[in-house]
Amino acid sequence: MASMKARILSLAAAATVAVAGCSSGGGGQPGEPAASGQSITMWTFKQSHAAALQKAAEQFTAQTGIGVKVEAVTPDDVFKSKIQSAAQTGDLPDVLEAHAAGEDLELGASGLLADISGDVNDAWKGRFLPSTQNAGVLDQGRIDRAAADSPFKQAKAGSMYAVPFTAGAFGIVYANKEKLQAAGLSPDTPPASWEEFVAALKTSTEKDPQAGGLSLGLKVSQVGFNWVYQPLAHAYLGKEKFQGLFGKDTAAGFGSPDGVKTLDLYSQLTPYWMPGATTLGIDEADIAFAQGKSAYNVGGTFTLAFLAQNGMSPDKVLTFPIPPSAAGAHKDIVMAPLALTSLGVTSTSKNRAAALKWLDYVTSPSGAGLVAKESLDLPATDLGAEAATLMGPELAALQKYFTGDPASTYDAGDTTFFPGGYDQVKPGDAFVRLSPLKELDPAQAGKELDAIFGAMWKSAE
Amino acid sequence: MAARWKEWLTGWAFVFPAVALFAVMGVYTIGSGLALSFASWNGFTPEWIWVGLENYADLLWADPSLAPGVRRAAWNTLQVCVAVPLLTVLISLPLAVTLNSVRRLRGLLRSVYFLPYVTTGIATYYAWRYLLEPEGSINLMLRSAGLGSLAQPQGWLANPSTALWTLILILVWSAVPTATLLYLTGLQAIDPSMVEAARIDGAAPRQVLRRIIVPLLTPMTAGIVLLGVRDSLHGFQIFLIMTNGGPGGHTNVLALETYELAFFKGLAPTLGLSSALGWLLFVGAVLLTLANARLLRRVR
Repeated sequence: MASMKARILSLAAAATVAVAGCSSGGGGQPGEPAASGQSITMWTFKQSHAAALQKAAEQFTAQTGIGVKVEAVTPDDVFKSKIQSAAQTGDLPDVLEAHAAGEDLELGASGLLADISGDVNDAWKGRFLPSTQNAGVLDQGRIDRAAADSPFKQAKAGSMYAVPFTAGAFGIVYANKEKLQAAGLSPDTPPASWEEFVAALKTSTEKDPQAGGLSLGLKVSQVGFNWVYQPLAHAYLGKEKFQGLFGKDTAAGFGSPDGVKTLDLYSQLTPYWMPGATTLGIDEADIAFAQGKSAYNVGGTFTLAFLAQNGMSPDKVLTFPIPPSAAGAHKDIVMAPLALTSLGVTSTSKNRAAALKWLDYVTSPSGAGLVAKESLDLPATDLGAEAATLMGPELAALQKYFTGDPASTYDAGDTTFFPGGYDQVKPGDAFVRLSPLKELDPAQAGKELDAIFGAMWKSAE
Repeated sequence: MAARWKEWLTGWAFVFPAVALFAVMGVYTIGSGLALSFASWNGFTPEWIWVGLENYADLLWADPSLAPGVRRAAWNTLQVCVAVPLLTVLISLPLAVTLNSVRRLRGLLRSVYFLPYVTTGIATYYAWRYLLEPEGSINLMLRSAGLGSLAQPQGWLANPSTALWTLILILVWSAVPTATLLYLTGLQAIDPSMVEAARIDGAAPRQVLRRIIVPLLTPMTAGIVLLGVRDSLHGFQIFLIMTNGGPGGHTNVLALETYELAFFKGLAPTLGLSSALGWLLFVGAVLLTLANARLLRRVR
């Protein structure tokens, strides 16, 4: 009986949807209209987004009558296994927030996210920061680079599985102004070069050997490689030589004179890591910094929100991108913002039109601004001149690292030069062995990294 | 005839729920896991891609970006597999004998030594992490006792030469209570007249322990060693929580590698590899169990 009622209700709802004929609003023109009184569900892997999204959902419901229930599923491995189980049992929600430019594409190519390329028109795409606009689009290059058993091989180039939601950059250094002052360093002037940064680290560590160093969650071994080394090496070598490090030609690889020099620069950090840095996860390192156990901390633009949640007021930190070496090719580092998370509509959603309408709202300047302000996470939506008003001054200030000389711009989202099946943990472990463990010197690390990437290229063939 | 038929039906009616449950939860999942080890799948696509024995070959030798890491993890696993059961037996047997001979506060002491078992594993692992930090209690105690040269300035888990053995000792710490309890059960089952007779014949306590008690406890030792090997092969929580295989991969073990292949390779189709590694671990466990059983039979 209950089942009969449910069927009648869903038929009635479908009929209402069919006759309502309302469009998705904004730039989107979904194929079917959404109906007021509907309710959609959404899963996110970011705990810090859940409350902000729910607040935005209240505004959205007031405007459209469509209810949104947001559920946070953390940590990442639980989120992934829950999606796997739900995909098998047909219990996926209507909307998923996933890691952008990777996980979202995998989910789409595996048939879990719907292709929304027909719904997201140019006007909608135009809202996003330029470097993030196509983060949810599967291009032919990615299909070509994928391993033979990758689901990408079965997908259609040009499919769009998600719209960018939050954006940001890695390789942002946070410095504790009080500790800088105590060490006799300027709390308002960031170091102009890598050499000045290392000298400042030396000063702060000498002043406070236990709590004057640099924190980074090296328990996740790849963060040193991704967040510190790569922007540093990119600025030192320039884009072409930097990309050459990862190639098949070892003459231009990490073991080459140029490569060894970049590894030598990175290894200069060895005396200044906070004690026990290799046992800390990313969040734990941020917490250690917020608790005053280190003077410097490396993170991303998203770290500001976490530090604030852990009691460190944004006005007490000096932020700057990883400084370039004075001897390098570029004297500035500009961080291209990359989409960090994205939103997709599941292919099994019975509420596709309502889900698209929600995506449309939450990526609009007002929706994205509201979520950004509540979560202290930068949106992929370009808020332009309204950024400071919508997001607050500290968060808006982080956006200044996104603009500058295109030649100096480090784009962490550009993965075109990596081998297929690229696994960042293996080079990450080698970097930990270089610094802080000192088990390898720069020349040995260069050889080991070339061997690791050589093996990856071979595996990808 | 009708009565027998009825009896047969009644029997099956009672057994059927358990059989059905095992068929679904046991046979199906084991069969599905085994099949997956011959396939490539990321957990999301509707179809598996069959690859035959490729996953096993890749793990053991064929994939140059995979096999060396698996071999390193296998070496670490072997150290854990040998050290944990051995140290557990070496600590819990004398402890059980002592507890068995104590007359006063016996209940309290048994409760104290059993405490590590009843506390939640993950919570204790976090507590251990705090103790092992650079400014943690272990270093503090060493410095206070004038043994500062033994303290680890980077913490016990950040030094590659101490990290794995620190984890082994924590595993032993959590395994000793169960082993002690098993030995206590075994000790109480020994006929006191045998020990008494040996003493009357002039056997020293050390000889009683070596010649009478230890041989009689061999079945218990076999069980404890098996449990230790099983836990060492399959347990990965301690490695995940305390070091994540670090620093620099020095504490990576096969069970953690299996978990990483399943859940931390983005959405790459590595579930088949993970399953294959799980089956290799299973084969390893069976071989070690057989070797252990044979060895103990010979000792007996």
